[in-house]
This record gives sequence, structure tokens and C-alpha cells, in this order.
Amino acid sequence: MAGAGRAAGNHGGGPASEPAGGARSERAGDAPERAGDAAAPEICVEGLGKAFGRRDVLRDVSFTVARGGFLTLFGPNGAGKTTTLRLLATLLKPSSGSVTVAGHDLRGDPAPVRRAIGFISHDPLLYRDLTAHENLRFYADMYGVADAERRIADLLERVELSHRRHDVVATFSKGMQQRLAIARALLHEPRVLLLDEPHSGLDPHAVDLLDGLLGDIRAEHTFVMATHSLRQGLGLADQVLILDGGKVVFAHGGGMAEAEFAATYRAQVREGALV
Amino acid sequence: MGWRQFKAMVRKDVVSELRTRETVVSMFLFVVLAMIVFHYAFTVSGGGRLSFYTGGMLWVVFVFGALLGLNRSFAHEKDDGCLDGLLLCPVDRMTIYLAKMTANLIFLGAIQVVAVPVFALFFASGRIATHLPAFLALVVLADLGIAALGTLLATITMNTRSRDLLLPIVFLPLVIPLLIAAASGTSALLSGAAGAPSVLGRLAFLLVYDGVFLVLAYGTYDVAIGE
Repeated sequence: MAGAGRAAGNHGGGPASEPAGGARSERAGDAPERAGDAAAPEICVEGLGKAFGRRDVLRDVSFTVARGGFLTLFGPNGAGKTTTLRLLATLLKPSSGSVTVAGHDLRGDPAPVRRAIGFISHDPLLYRDLTAHENLRFYADMYGVADAERRIADLLERVELSHRRHDVVATFSKGMQQRLAIARALLHEPRVLLLDEPHSGLDPHAVDLLDGLLGDIRAEHTFVMATHSLRQGLGLADQVLILDGGKVVFAHGGGMAEAEFAATYRAQVREGALV
Repeated sequence: MGWRQFKAMVRKDVVSELRTRETVVSMFLFVVLAMIVFHYAFTVSGGGRLSFYTGGMLWVVFVFGALLGLNRSFAHEKDDGCLDGLLLCPVDRMTIYLAKMTANLIFLGAIQVVAVPVFALFFASGRIATHLPAFLALVVLADLGIAALGTLLATITMNTRSRDLLLPIVFLPLVIPLLIAAASGTSALLSGAAGAPSVLGRLAFLLVYDGVFLVLAYGTYDVAIGE
């Protein structure tokens, strides 16, 4: 099955450039603008491997994501989803293979890659002793955002936290922290958003708010999301991969029904279940 | 180096510290209490040749006080899970080092602004004022060395499970040359036993020491803070 995964995910002519019909129709307004961009994938991963010491945690993973695409990574704990995202985010260095993000090689020059990506994980990456505004101002300065105050005000409005801008993050609920984390990740207007189980630890109301926000920005970015959630994972994706044991065991262009995908997942994965 | 990024990191550390007062308060209490302990321990056993030891006392207190701050210098990044956020930024790793080092220098300097008068009161009444420029030069160069070495080692040890124990174990042996130069220079100034050339020699040594660890950090910090 790994071979099938590679065959489907390796080349831009597979799922990346031919997103599922459902996803395509949701973004119909963007189609003419994106038609030319689809030829050059926003993310290109070839033969990616990562070892910690002698332990291989990722082996020969390949996929491409077209500009404006949404790839969801599924897999049990330890499958290599987070490692893949951390490699794309330049937080880890690959042991083998090559990664290109927004046209920049990850090994050669990571700085442009860092400018091109926003990273959202279950950890909000916010300073608890600073206010919402101070956190965003800090990251705006770190990314060299122009007209930072206006951008911060816009984003706080968008994530519905304007009224809490001068409160320290330690007083925020988990859901509010996650919304502020989205604002943090969007500050520098990244082309690619990497999401590592962003729904983890959120209550149903916060999950709905987060999904609404992701839906709002769906058309503006290229996404790669790791999740265990069938609904969230399939809902926005136009491309899915299942990882197990550090390898791609299944790849599809998206548009699968939840029941069909759940059955495929159970057949492909040695242990673990979707929620 | 990105000046805007450097300022943002220093401001973030200072604002966090002003809000929590975790680092400076513990450093300040340690430094003042240690001086009080030294004062009673040494004056009881006779203060006739005390000026010979005062430089050593001062710098032992500052080195151990600085260790408390260095141990906390990456605490917010680690405890709040923000190290990834920092590493995701398109910022030169050396800028992160220089900003962290500057924050550590500010905290150490803030302690010394209060601690040096306390020290003068207990051990060196009037003598520091007489040699103030040379004393300040010693303090600035020694602080720079402590911060340069300490920030590099705090970065290396922050991902270890026993970072609070490991930092002193690697820091103290390496800071001994600085301690000898700063302590002997201070004692020489306070006792009036040495002339300007010997103090200048110690200042030159501290300058070289600072340069060595700044260059070492420049060459290794990308790896030190990496994966």
C-alpha cells in the first residue's frame, strides 16, 4: 500500500493538482486565479526521512500540495504526522530527502520558508505573562510585519478577541488561546498554514469556532493539517494521506465519504482509531 | 542582526520579568542575604585583612546570583512552549543569543545597582568611590563574560531533563578564569595594593575572555539552539 501512497502523492498530477470535486466547488470563485499556480506545487516533499539516533521515525515520505490545496495527514500516535509537520516548519532537519515550500528549499535557505509558513499546534506558542496585544506585537516584530498595529487590530477583531486585547494570556480559556494562536500564525500573511492537531483539548463550542475560522481562511492559504478527527480532517481537505510507522500507507485525492474513509483507515493502520 | 527583532526579544523578556518578578527578586534576595552572611562570618573571625578577600566575596556572590537568573533565562520559552514559536520566526539565531544575553545582562546589572552599595556599606566603605571608573570597567567586562558564557550554556542545557543541576556543573568550571580576574582586580582596587598596570592587565584578560565566548557562540549557537 505504501507504493500506492507514493504513486498517488508523489507527483503534482495526482491528488494535489486534481482536488476532489467537493472541495473544488467550495472554492469555485478562486479557480481561475489559481489555475496557473497549480502547475507549481506550493509544497513538494520527496523521499523525506527522519531518524532520531538509530530510530527511523519517517521513511521515504513523498507528496505534493498545490497552491490553495488542503492536505490532511491521518495516522495513529507515533505514525510520523507531527514529525512531518515539524520538518515542513523547519523545526527539525531532514535526515534524507528534499522539501520545497513556496519555492524555497528547506535545507538550503530556511529563512524564506519560515516567512512563508504559519504554524498552529495544540500548544498555542503564546507567552502566558504577556497580554494578547503584547504577544501579537512581539511576533509582528519578529516577522517584520509592516503596519503592525493595524494588522493586530484586524486579526483580534477577526478572532473575536478585541475586548480582551489587554488581558494576559494566562487568563484565557484554551479555546481563546487557540483563537489567539490563529491570529499569531496569520500575522505575517503566510502562504502555507501547518496545523498540528489544532482541535486537541478544545470543547465542542471552541471546536466549532475554530472550524468556522479555518473555513473563513480556507481560500487564502495552502494547508497541511494533522488530525485524528474524521469530521475535521475530511471536512476541508482536498487531499488525504494516512501515515503509519513513518510511511505513507494510503493517499487519496479527497472527496471520500466518512464511512468509506474510516473503513480504509481501519484496513491500513495497524492500531489506533479515528474519532 | 535584525534590530527590530532584537529589541522585541529584549522587551519581551523585560516586560515578562517586570510582571512576574520571578528572576530578579530571587537573584536580589540571594545576593543581599549572601553578603549579610559573609559580613557576619568574616567580621566575627577578625576583619584585619578583610580587604584582601572582599573582591573574591563580591564575585562569588555575583556568579552564584547570576546562575539563578541564567537558569530562568529560557524558562518562559520552555514552560509556555514558546521555543517553537521563537524558532519558527525568520530570525538569525545569533540575534536570539544576543537578545537573551542582553536580557541576562540587564537583570544582573539591576541586581548590582542595589548590591554594590550594600557591599560598599559592609566591606568597602569609601574605597569603591575612589576607584569608581576602574571598578565599573571590571564590573561591565565581567558581567559581559558571565552573560556570554551563561547564555550559551543555558541554551545548551535547557532541553536536558536536569537543566537546573547541569548548568552549574558546566558553568562554574568555565567561569573560574573570569572569577580570578574579576576578584583579584577588585581586591587590588579596594586594598590599594596594586597599581594601574595590574588592573589594566585584568581588564584586558576579561576583554579577551568575553571575545572568546562571543566568537564561540557565533560559531555554535545555530547548533546549540537547533533540534
